[in-house]
Amino acid sequence: MAEGKDEKKYTTISIPTPLAEKIKKRIEGTGFTSLSSYVTYVLREVISGMEEESEEVFSKEDEEKVKDRLRALGYLD
Amino acid sequence: MRLMELDENINYIVSGLERSGTSMVMQVLLAGGAPVAFNKSRLPDQSNPKGYYELEGGKIINKLMDGTFPLNEYKGKFIKITSYGLKYLPAGDYKIIYSERNIGEILDSMEKMANINDTNREETRESFVKLNSMIKNYIREREDIEVLIVNYNNILSEPSINIKKIYDFLDLADINLEKMIDAVDRELYRQRRN
Repeated sequence: MAEGKDEKKYTTISIPTPLAEKIKKRIEGTGFTSLSSYVTYVLREVISGMEEESEEVFSKEDEEKVKDRLRALGYLD
Repeated sequence: MRLMELDENINYIVSGLERSGTSMVMQVLLAGGAPVAFNKSRLPDQSNPKGYYELEGGKIINKLMDGTFPLNEYKGKFIKITSYGLKYLPAGDYKIIYSERNIGEILDSMEKMANINDTNREETRESFVKLNSMIKNYIREREDIEVLIVNYNNILSEPSINIKKIYDFLDLADINLEKMIDAVDRELYRQRRN
């Protein structure tokens, strides 16, 4: 994937050519005007989903970190 | 000062992450005439010059975890239980004022109080953000808990508007709103992040 009209705002990422061709076919007739705009959209969705997911899960590791801090503050034995 | 009576069937709780303004909310309630239960098991210090307003030396969480904290004895009074302890509240009838604050300020204040230099601050931040989110969802979903979320930073910047929210939540004719607002002590706001 190579787009470089504005070098300050964009960077170049390589993906396998067969995948690029597949995506081009997939976006035909959709509102996406380029391979880059589609891939940007997909990546944003993926990252946003990951962030939401990580916010929701209070893991055992998180709990241990919290308990350590509460002990340091004198709120837990 | 004459204290008003709260519902003797309800446990009233002030909560939030440690260093999120829970002591200030306790001070505000006390100033307004609400029954507030605390003892001097943790004395005022540099981190909380006006006191902690706590029971069990702040270690109420341990007693909630093992089921030995006598919640029944504190019905009709406000007590302070910080966020993590709410996970262990047994079934009952609760009204909770939950205080939030800028997470950076909370961590600054925690580090100062515990005299630590957190080298994994970003991880710690993430864990406390998750705890806060998890607990808020948990107490909002429980049918035996009524919740008011307040924000420490907003209380300090606009006391009248934000203390009125607490006043409305309590819905008590004889609580003194003016004294509650006057109790907001801006001088204690030392960990401000602009």
